Amino acid sequence: MLDDLANSVISGDANRAAEAAKKALTGGVDPLNAITNGLNRGMKQVGEDFSKLKVYLPEVMMAAEAMKAALAILEPAALKKDSTSIKKSKVVIATIAGDIHDIGKNIVSLLMRANGFEIYDLGRDVPIDVMISKALDVNAEIIAASTLLSTSMPYMEDMIALLKERGLRGKFIIMVGGGPVTKEWATSIGADGYGDDGDEAVKVAYELLQRVKPS
Amino acid sequence: MNSIWEVIDKAETGQYMEERDFDLNVVARLCRDLVKEYGIKFDPAQIITSDDSMVDNVFEAGLRLALEAGIFCIDTKRIIRFDEHDLREGTSSAPTSLIIGQGKDSRILYARGVEDERDPIICGGQAGAAIPEEWYLPMALSFMKEPLVDMINNGGLAVVEGRKVKTNTPLEIQATRRELRMLREAADRAGRPGIHLLAGESSVSALGDLAIASDKYMRTSDAHLVALLNELKTDNQRISKVVNFTEYGAHNVTLVDPIIGGYAGGPEGVAVCFIASFLLGRVMYGSEYHVIHPIHFRYMSTSAVECMWNLNIVGQAMSRNAPYILMGDVWTSAGAGSEMVFYEIAANTITNVVTGSHPLGCSATNGKYPHASGLETRFMAEVALETARSGLKRENANEMVVKLASLYKDRQAKPDIGKPFPELYDMARVVPKPEWNATYLKMKREIAEMTGLDL
Repeated sequence: MLDDLANSVISGDANRAAEAAKKALTGGVDPLNAITNGLNRGMKQVGEDFSKLKVYLPEVMMAAEAMKAALAILEPAALKKDSTSIKKSKVVIATIAGDIHDIGKNIVSLLMRANGFEIYDLGRDVPIDVMISKALDVNAEIIAASTLLSTSMPYMEDMIALLKERGLRGKFIIMVGGGPVTKEWATSIGADGYGDDGDEAVKVAYELLQRVKPS
Repeated sequence: MNSIWEVIDKAETGQYMEERDFDLNVVARLCRDLVKEYGIKFDPAQIITSDDSMVDNVFEAGLRLALEAGIFCIDTKRIIRFDEHDLREGTSSAPTSLIIGQGKDSRILYARGVEDERDPIICGGQAGAAIPEEWYLPMALSFMKEPLVDMINNGGLAVVEGRKVKTNTPLEIQATRRELRMLREAADRAGRPGIHLLAGESSVSALGDLAIASDKYMRTSDAHLVALLNELKTDNQRISKVVNFTEYGAHNVTLVDPIIGGYAGGPEGVAVCFIASFLLGRVMYGSEYHVIHPIHFRYMSTSAVECMWNLNIVGQAMSRNAPYILMGDVWTSAGAGSEMVFYEIAANTITNVVTGSHPLGCSATNGKYPHASGLETRFMAEVALETARSGLKRENANEMVVKLASLYKDRQAKPDIGKPFPELYDMARVVPKPEWNATYLKMKREIAEMTGLDL
């Protein structure tokens, strides 16, 4: 049954995933086990395949849809059993103001979701105050900003300045990335983390959650 | 051919669709189906293919994609469609040669053929980079001073008079005008006042672009890039740029940069997407020439094996079926100052020149760091000219490129990013420092011996 859940995600079949989730519950599989060793395992596989260019962005998106369909059934059951069991770290992510290039951001967003983060993807050309407001609303641990344009990089710096001005800097982990963004630049503006690609972004996010405790 | 007025109308009245549906149910689905139907297959051992039937299949699949998908306008969520007559007319009216630049510095830019023995046009500059204002002029001069460079496409300014340039702010106007003033100044100092500029890179929105349509900045003999957004998309900012330059009378150039691993799928789907983008870009933007820039989802670099395969097959497919004037980007993972950058430049340039495009580069470090100079562009020019003049055939070129790629492909994840421009050049005289010149000579010798090219 766990394999069926994993494979339904890998094949990106939302109907099959929902059916597999129902079957798992009626078959007495622990819902948390179904999520962790079924859905998450499938999604992890998709993420690894994407990193090796065995599958592409549309397949990752379909897998995420399948996972969502199954989670809608399994999560309420898991929460009923143990409300603390599936606590996920929340990430507000967006392509920052002035930039409409969102494929890179979409990839990071999907890979983070595949690795168990709860993602609030605000889309592209998102003003910095909107990103901060959303992060406050959902009580996010991480704000992740992306851009492909050097002329949108200053908005990342502005976001950190605005967080400081509002006394909120310590509340969030700030991650930045995108074509022209470098690790050195991320450090220079006071960001907490930088990812050269989607895989690195996931790793850095995990590390930062261990190292930096948002207050 | 459709006028820009009709394009504007279509962006307002075309079929309404949610963007996600366009991405997944139109672009992704069609690319996947067409790749399968036409049996298109990427082979890393055939970076330069000699299989003409596959080349033509890529073109046919791309034409089908253009007809069935159209272009999605992000602002209106409507699809701008063209019928086969429009696309054929766009192709038959596309210039196969074009005078660029002015006076003694003018050149004839032309549609290259496969294994074309004519000298390619060399476009120099670190396109796509954010170059510090204090180095912009000398760095531009380093490209302009290279006698083999025929035209310039340099990066933009991230800071102007100490202020960071932000998209959609007045500083975009200041930065774009400053960029053009410095390019003009560099051209004058190099004694090449009429050199063709493919410029205005500081203008992301249409603001800066609108501010430079004047002889003082961009002449009608110059050109600007108008991107097709990923994948098969446009927006009102892009269309505004086209309207402005169309009425001003300067050249529109389509920048097509699909992502390998993105909505179009793998290298094969991206090749199909490229063809559709060029055909649609021509009728939508009225572009006179076009830039091929495949993006590797991880490395970005056009020198990645999958990207060079795309440059190869798209260049050949267009050359054989719709001879547009194509510039093939040369974007490397490594930076100027490194040895690695020479392997990447050689492989990427040979690929472009043999398969139907002119080389445009070198954008070292993919424009991520201002680690670039005129010297590695000189090397790109030398490789390009010798590749064409020696009458290099595809089979031999493929052997060279596969061998060169084997020397850097495993290092592209952690490349040697080299050094910033002021560490490579004598900033007063704007000439390479001895150490950088010695690296260039060493690598030129090594690559000449390895490939048999008379560099």
